[in-house]
Amino acid sequence: MRRAPAVCAGILMAGGIMGWFAWRHDAAILLRGIMASADGRPENGKVAEGRYKNDYFGLSYRLPPEWTVGEAGPDPSQSAYYVLSTLVPEGEPNATIMIAAQDMFFVGEGHAGAADQARDFQRALSTVAGMTIDPDVAEIKVGDHAFYRVNYHGVGLYRSMVAAEIRCHIVSFNVTARDSALVASLVHAFDRDISFAPTGGASAPPCAEDYADSDNVLHRVLPVPVGPRFVPIPVRIIVGPDGSVTNVHVIHATDDQRRSIETALYQWKLKPYRVGGRASPVETGLLFKFRGDS
Amino acid sequence: MLGAAAWSGSVVTEAQAQMRNQNGADHHRGGGGGGGGGGGGAQATDPGVRGGPPGAGGPLPGLSAPELAFFKAATDVFTEVEAVPNGLGPRFNLDSCAGCHAGPAVGGSSPATNPEVADATANGATNTVPSFITTNGPTREARFVRNPDGTPDGGVHDLFVITGRADAQGCNIQQPNFAAALAANNVIFRIPTPVFGLGLVEAVPDSGLQAAAGTVAQQAGSLGIASGVFNTSGNDGTITRFGWKAQNKSLLIFAGEAYNVEEGVTNDAFPNERETNPNCQFNPLPESTSNFTDATNGASPVAGFSQDIVNFAAFMRFLAPPTPASGTSPAAQSTSMTSTAANSASMTGGTVQVASAGGTSVLSAVSGTSSNSAAPAASGASTSRGAQVFSNIGCAACHVQNQTTGKAVITGISNETFQPFSDFALHQMGTGLADGVSQGAANGTQFRSAPLWGVGQRLFFLHDGRTSDLVQAIEQHSSNGSEANGVIRNFNMLSVSDQQAVLNFLRSL
Repeated sequence: MRRAPAVCAGILMAGGIMGWFAWRHDAAILLRGIMASADGRPENGKVAEGRYKNDYFGLSYRLPPEWTVGEAGPDPSQSAYYVLSTLVPEGEPNATIMIAAQDMFFVGEGHAGAADQARDFQRALSTVAGMTIDPDVAEIKVGDHAFYRVNYHGVGLYRSMVAAEIRCHIVSFNVTARDSALVASLVHAFDRDISFAPTGGASAPPCAEDYADSDNVLHRVLPVPVGPRFVPIPVRIIVGPDGSVTNVHVIHATDDQRRSIETALYQWKLKPYRVGGRASPVETGLLFKFRGDS
Repeated sequence: MLGAAAWSGSVVTEAQAQMRNQNGADHHRGGGGGGGGGGGGAQATDPGVRGGPPGAGGPLPGLSAPELAFFKAATDVFTEVEAVPNGLGPRFNLDSCAGCHAGPAVGGSSPATNPEVADATANGATNTVPSFITTNGPTREARFVRNPDGTPDGGVHDLFVITGRADAQGCNIQQPNFAAALAANNVIFRIPTPVFGLGLVEAVPDSGLQAAAGTVAQQAGSLGIASGVFNTSGNDGTITRFGWKAQNKSLLIFAGEAYNVEEGVTNDAFPNERETNPNCQFNPLPESTSNFTDATNGASPVAGFSQDIVNFAAFMRFLAPPTPASGTSPAAQSTSMTSTAANSASMTGGTVQVASAGGTSVLSAVSGTSSNSAAPAASGASTSRGAQVFSNIGCAACHVQNQTTGKAVITGISNETFQPFSDFALHQMGTGLADGVSQGAANGTQFRSAPLWGVGQRLFFLHDGRTSDLVQAIEQHSSNGSEANGVIRNFNMLSVSDQQAVLNFLRSL
């Protein structure tokens, strides 16, 4: 990951306290038109009445018949990776579907989207002992959204990774079963069973990867350094049309760090984001790291 | 429209074979673990501790003569038994490094017979053995999760005190109330981490650890695993990598902390007594320091001048990694950094007595730990298959096989690839393994991926030594909140023969 522009280091020194760094990626990635909640969180999706629903992504998935939710996944990681849900058959444990998301703001070098992610995944899996990977990355349309599928298998397990780019995240459905027909049927049903919030609902803001850089921040309050030092703390914020911070999601941190960062960020003021010349809300990311000065 | 069944014809062949397996006697584990037969039975089982001589305990191959002399002298220091005049106590868990780091050879983990039981009353001490310390159980330290006021504790509360010992007259402190802590569900345990091969681990640059994590990141992401999350030093921000939560920065820090915390011996890295009762202070501080003269006048002057923790660190740095079972594992075939059998035998023979300057060697008391339940190594075909399955189902996404050193001071270990089977990163391990203790950036659910080299001759598994059964150790990786859930689901969906192959592979390491 790249460090923030020099202005951040300047503020660090001017602040004269324990200090923080922020990283960003250069390329802005915009995704408009996804109908989703403006203030939900990726990890808040849940299974109810036979459906996995995630308001943040505007995503709904009807579980296969006689399937249920499995063990809870881990908390969001400091690399902003989420296990959103794990789904399993109610009877014999012969298959599983794990829904995951990776925040693209915090993936290091970044990538162009779900298609490239699928090809990277395909290349990486080819190095795993005993793994056979289908050569094609298939594009799948689910509603208006493009998903990309990679099939692979080995040691008697058949697997399919189906991923789409939603709200600057790669959201993936990872299907595993003991026989290929079951995996194929589960994946085949996605275009029927996955749906998105209908057009006309509350629209999620566009996401812009580097919007909270120095050029756009008009007023900045540094969080008070607390908790473990040198640990990356990924944060997503939503900036309102007036430039105020309307939502802070500290993705992975201690409670003290979360409070400190939220307190600071809600005092920030940014230039209004503009779409077609009009002020618009925008979602962006920041990576904090409290430094331990000696 | 989504694609229909898209696998190639060759896959169908494997699927058909798999179906035949399922229809036959080759059933799958349902998810709860449990006993059963071996490869041809109902369920896969742990083949048990691998027999034969200890595959560890010798020095790295290719050390220079001064390095080898230092290693041998440092081994003496590592095996010393401390008494109060040497610095033991006032509170301690054992009186020797090698007492806990004992199986299958000096530098390992818990031996078959727990020396803590006898140490409780050694030299007149009047300690009560806590209920979680047993003769046939693992050597353990205890940590309290919370302080009495509810704030986080997480620190080690030593098992024993020197009260009653002949060399501690006037000291009358009491042991912690472990029964109350147990009743309050406020105590967790840790067993010793083996220290074999740690010079190699220390010689991996941070960028190497990050690069190794990067090689498995894609597979990890398909399994619910966040790769590349490292513990870091609060002082300089670099990756820390030693200890159950990767909380220790270096072998020197690791040794210094353990000397003070486990044995109560203050030193230049940790110069203050943790127990400050004035009636129990018998020595000027720190109790182990650099020597101005080489009293040993031995073959390694550097060992003689150095304080104990420098010798401990040297012992760990020069100690070779465990040697896998010969000819049964791909890892064994590619491992270059293992000690020769002759080296191992000479350093770990069951009756070797090592003279030392500061105390009596305990080598003879702690060796030969694996012979009671020794099992032969499984067939090469099975372990080779197991290695493939291990990687394929995702075990290797955390237990990363290869790491590579950078430029190193120690002779012969620069730019070497070795096989610790760990990414040395932190992972959330769920409610089943969570201990509620935070160390550095590691929270109460996170642990470092335990290096699996040497697992073939390990007696106790997981951070608290709760099981000696590899199957149980695997299954315990799965619980709410664990990053390993996806991998364990894969394991449980395997055929019994492939599950058995994984177990055989692990016992070959």
